[in-house]
Amino acid sequence: MVNRYDCLTLLASWLDEHAITVTARGPNAREWAYLRPKGANFHSLNLGMCLSFALGLSLAYPKRKVVAIDSDGSLLLDTSSLVTVAGVNPPNLLALVMDNQSYADMGPTATATHADLEAIAKGAGIPVTGTIRTEDEFKRVVPKSLADGGLSFFVLKIEPGKARVEVDSRRLHGRAMKETFIENLLRHPDYPKRVGR
Amino acid sequence: MIRAPFDRLRVPSKVGGKVQRTPSSEKREKKMDKDMVGVIIETLKEKNIDLVVTLPEDPTYPLTEQIRQDPFFTAVTVTGEGHGISLCAGASLGGRNCVFITGIAGLLVGSWALAQMGVLYGIPVFILASYRGDVSDRSGISGDQLNMFNQVGEPVLSALKIPYRIVEEKEKLKRKLLDAHAACQGYSTPLVLLLTGDVLW
Repeated sequence: MVNRYDCLTLLASWLDEHAITVTARGPNAREWAYLRPKGANFHSLNLGMCLSFALGLSLAYPKRKVVAIDSDGSLLLDTSSLVTVAGVNPPNLLALVMDNQSYADMGPTATATHADLEAIAKGAGIPVTGTIRTEDEFKRVVPKSLADGGLSFFVLKIEPGKARVEVDSRRLHGRAMKETFIENLLRHPDYPKRVGR
Repeated sequence: MIRAPFDRLRVPSKVGGKVQRTPSSEKREKKMDKDMVGVIIETLKEKNIDLVVTLPEDPTYPLTEQIRQDPFFTAVTVTGEGHGISLCAGASLGGRNCVFITGIAGLLVGSWALAQMGVLYGIPVFILASYRGDVSDRSGISGDQLNMFNQVGEPVLSALKIPYRIVEEKEKLKRKLLDAHAACQGYSTPLVLLLTGDVLW
């Protein structure tokens, strides 16, 4: 198994300032907000929303890397979004699923027993998929995916637990977080010009 | 014994030894008004709304099919309305003009996403929806379903604090589209334009 915080630390060092990221609610968001305090990061999307929200951003920013940092419980709520993502097949979307095989401290998800998210993603038609169990694999696979572009999907089998990091909740949740995200997008060189009324 | 009149029986006819079945398109009482399809496409183009997301449904199928064949648009067919709304929210927040085309059923399925993109975040998501269950619904679905949509559609939108407007006159469609899109951006929330049968057919 890999350590989420260690992998996210590596990921933060690999992304350029213009990459756009989206996180699912929970430790993914908190740790990522701590590790990537700058740039366009939309945090704490509720169950089932992370991957599709990232897909929308990937369609708005086709020349930039968009990374979805999802979780097993979140993706399991709407695995059919994998079919949609595969159908669009964007040129710039990397999906990482932090799979701790549990709903926080509330018992196992289906990935602890019988469900294989990578197999589901592959069956949905996503061209590049993998399940990562060691940091070496992570170092080998993810930078290559970022360099190659296209659509890729990796499940990270992560250790239980979370890093103890302090992040202002206004950077993590709700409209305050959204406003910070928009401010970053408005400074983004690829931000599309709005067509007014 | 009570027997159904012959004209109410649906018996596949045989032609040349092969069973001829009624094509699904013939089962529809009417197809969407071509002029209204044209008005919507023209208005979307005027506002540079080039990303169209949908899960196809009967009343608006002629519209979404024509959009799918038009190179101006990027048309995305989703497998669930919830993540379709989330997709649109991501694109819209990213600055891309986008519309989600669905029906009342899709709004009900997408209520989880609507609650978040509306009340929680306040992200503009422009939605066109056929008003299934309205008294002018001529799509041919069963009465109990019509009643269900009629009873829960608007109350669910109200409960979710999603602004909506009902379009009942063809002549006003273009103006309603323009106003609703502008209001959606201005309010910064999902906003639904409900297209009644008076407009669709």
